[in-house]
Amino acid sequence: MGSSAWSVAATAVGSAFLASLVEVVEAFTIVLAVGTLRGWRPAAFGTVGALAVLGGLLVLLGPLLDRVPLHLLQLFIGILLLLFGMGWLRKAILRAAGIIPLHEEDAIFASEAAQLAESADRQRTSLEWIAGLTAFKAVLLEGIEVVFIVIAVGAGRGLLWPAGLGAFAACLVILTIGVAIHRPLARVPENTLKFGVGVMLSAFGVFWTGEGLGIDWPGQDIALLAFAVLFLSVGITTATMLRGSAKEVLQ
Amino acid sequence: MSIIGDVCQELLGMFLADARLTIATLSLVAMVAGLVVAVRDPLLAGGVLLFGCLAIVVEAACREARQRNHP
Repeated sequence: MGSSAWSVAATAVGSAFLASLVEVVEAFTIVLAVGTLRGWRPAAFGTVGALAVLGGLLVLLGPLLDRVPLHLLQLFIGILLLLFGMGWLRKAILRAAGIIPLHEEDAIFASEAAQLAESADRQRTSLEWIAGLTAFKAVLLEGIEVVFIVIAVGAGRGLLWPAGLGAFAACLVILTIGVAIHRPLARVPENTLKFGVGVMLSAFGVFWTGEGLGIDWPGQDIALLAFAVLFLSVGITTATMLRGSAKEVLQ
Repeated sequence: MSIIGDVCQELLGMFLADARLTIATLSLVAMVAGLVVAVRDPLLAGGVLLFGCLAIVVEAACREARQRNHP
C-alpha cells in the first residue's frame, strides 16, 4: 500500500473511530441510566438487541454497495457526507463559539433517569420492558450515525472492514472506561471530537463527490488531508470570529 | 411504531438538519457537475466544489449565529 493509500485508510479508520467515540458516549449515558436505575438485565438486552440490528444493517448493506458502480457510489456517498459532515461542522462551530450550549452528559443522565422514574410510576408491570426498550432505542439511534459513517468513509475504497474495526475499537474504549468509572463520561471533549469528525467527513465529502463527478484531484489521496486542513482552519477562524461577535452582543 | 418513526426522524435529521445548507450544497454539486461537462476543466470544477463548500459552512454558521444573537 502506497503512502497516499495509507493516508486514506488512516483517515477512514480515524474518522470512524472518533465519530463512534462521540456517539457511543451518548448511547452509553442512557444505557448507564437504565442499568443503574432499573437493573443491568434490561440494559444489556436492549443494547445487545440494538447492536445486532446495526450489525445486520452493516452486513446487509456492505455487499450490496459492492455491486454499485464506483463513480456512482462515490458521488452518492460524497453528497451524503457533505450534507452530514457540514451539518456537524456547523453545529461544532456554533458550540465552540458559545452560541449553542455544549452537550452535557450529566444533564442527559439526569433527564433520562427522571423519565424512567416517571414511566415506572405509570406502568409498574412492564418496567423491565420499558427499560430495555429505552436502552435499545438509544443504542439504535446513536448507532445509525455510526453505521452511516463506517459505510460512507469505507465503501468508496473498499475500507469497510477497517472502518468497522475503528468503530468497534471506539465501543471497546468507552465500554472499558465506563465499566471502570461507572458514571456518565462527562469529561470527554465531545465538541472537539465533533469538530474533528465534521472536518474529516466534510473533507471526505468533497473528495468523493469530486471523484464521483470525474475530477482527478491533484496529489490524488493526499488532497484529502489538504482539504481537512482547509476545513479545520476555516472552522476555527469562523468560531473565533463568531465568539467575538457574540461577546459584543452580550456587552 | 414510535421506534421506526424515531429512526426515520434521525435519518432525516442527519442530512436535512438545516434546509438552506442542504439546498445550497445540492445546488453547488449540480453546478459543479455542469462545469465538469461544459468547461471540461476538472481543476476549476474541483476548486469551485471545495471553496463553495467552505463558503456554505461559514454562511450557515454565521446565519444561525445572527438569528440567535438577534432573534
